[in-house]
Amino acid sequence: MLNHIWLALIVIGILTAAGRDVYDVTQNSFGNGIPWEVRLEGPDGEVTGTGQGTTVQATLHVSAAQLRAHFSTDAIAADAALPARVTFRDDGSASAQIDVRVASAGRFTVMAEALGGGETLAANLRRAGADWEMRVDDVSLVYLRKVTNAAFEIAGLAVEIALGLIGIMALWLGVMKVAEEAGLITHLARLVRPITVRLFPDVPAEHPAVGSMIMNISANMLGLGNAATPFGLKAMEELEKLNPKSGVATDAMVTFLALNTSCVTLIPATAIAVRAAAGSSDPAFIIGTSFLASLTATIFAVTISKLLSRVKMFRFDRAEAN
Amino acid sequence: MDIFRTLVSVISALAIPALMLFFLGYGAFKKVKVYEVAVEGAKEGFQIAVRIIPYLVLMLVSIAIFRASGAMDVFITLVRPVTDFVGIPAEALPMAIMRPLSGSGSLGIMTETMQAYGTDGFIGVLVSTLYGSTETTFYVLAVYFGAVGIRNTRHALPTGLLADFIAFLAAVFFVGLVL
Repeated sequence: MLNHIWLALIVIGILTAAGRDVYDVTQNSFGNGIPWEVRLEGPDGEVTGTGQGTTVQATLHVSAAQLRAHFSTDAIAADAALPARVTFRDDGSASAQIDVRVASAGRFTVMAEALGGGETLAANLRRAGADWEMRVDDVSLVYLRKVTNAAFEIAGLAVEIALGLIGIMALWLGVMKVAEEAGLITHLARLVRPITVRLFPDVPAEHPAVGSMIMNISANMLGLGNAATPFGLKAMEELEKLNPKSGVATDAMVTFLALNTSCVTLIPATAIAVRAAAGSSDPAFIIGTSFLASLTATIFAVTISKLLSRVKMFRFDRAEAN
Repeated sequence: MDIFRTLVSVISALAIPALMLFFLGYGAFKKVKVYEVAVEGAKEGFQIAVRIIPYLVLMLVSIAIFRASGAMDVFITLVRPVTDFVGIPAEALPMAIMRPLSGSGSLGIMTETMQAYGTDGFIGVLVSTLYGSTETTFYVLAVYFGAVGIRNTRHALPTGLLADFIAFLAAVFFVGLVL
């Protein structure tokens, strides 16, 4: 199942990107090769541009009609006003570094990114009567480039995330080991025995895996994500010790992860923080709704994991051990 | 309700220090050589983190490609008839789809949605409830199974995704109930 979905995400992603790029080429969605008519407004009104070698901070006005014509769409109604640093050359032409971080930049943002300028778009200006004629480099294959960049960037980021876990993992696994040696984890397991023997029939009631799973789920409930991961990975290691077939998930593992991903939430810490930052009058309002939604999901998740484990395509086949 | 909220914030501040104190204190009481044993346990942290790397890289790259291509817009158009039928509001759909795929992606969508539709209306409360009540299923599966080298995950993914779907339905229901 995971094989198919994993492949599907990649294939659908690449095909969509290619499809969009082909569409952009056929529609000339970025107005490649067509010069722009723009108006320049400096600090002291209209820029006529005579001072050679000087640089001014100006506003570049593009009419809605121009935007519609270049971007091949009727959906644009407003003019664009873009901040730009304009440097004049000896021959009366000029170069501009356009800041595309403003709201009216629209598709210019995509062009700047595609041309490798990040948040600035480079353009050439030439006088044309009262206005200026602007030329920008051709833009093509935007989405395929985006896909490539995203893939390389995230590959590095994934390693950073994994390595970033080392510290917190070491800390909690150390503390956990002390509790284990002291017999505390076994006590904990004994305490919740009536529940765990039903949830995890294949795991001995006082196995260290049970204690770790309880720790993981409790930490998750309290919104302590940093502490939850080490406990959870410890639990997986303990469950793996009971696994007769390495490389294949056991029923207990899947039930544990069903509990983990749907986990009953008492304190949705991140969501509350974001709500507070966004100016909510009652950021903690979602505690009740999150609790009920996650409780419902958890009950279903455990039931589904039990039911699916009996479906033929998912059944744990002890015979073909590897 | 206010007392409950104070309690909640006290618990979240106290939980970690209290847990450390309790574990280590109990260990010392049982005459465990706490530092020596803790170091022994901590060594594992490095191995587990390194073992996760290939799983996490491949999982996150596949999701990143899907996100960067803008395929989500296409996907939303496809599932829209179904979700309209079961009553998930269209405004919350990007959140519902991104939540199991990417933690940072859904955090961004939650923020954007609340900026556009307000924090305390139906949509605002719904997206934050969605964010708060489920985990990033793909990430959890990659990390947890990666840590023990599980490649055949059997029914873990369908279970996780079905649970996410039920969480969304439940969130729509309960938020509708209180607002």
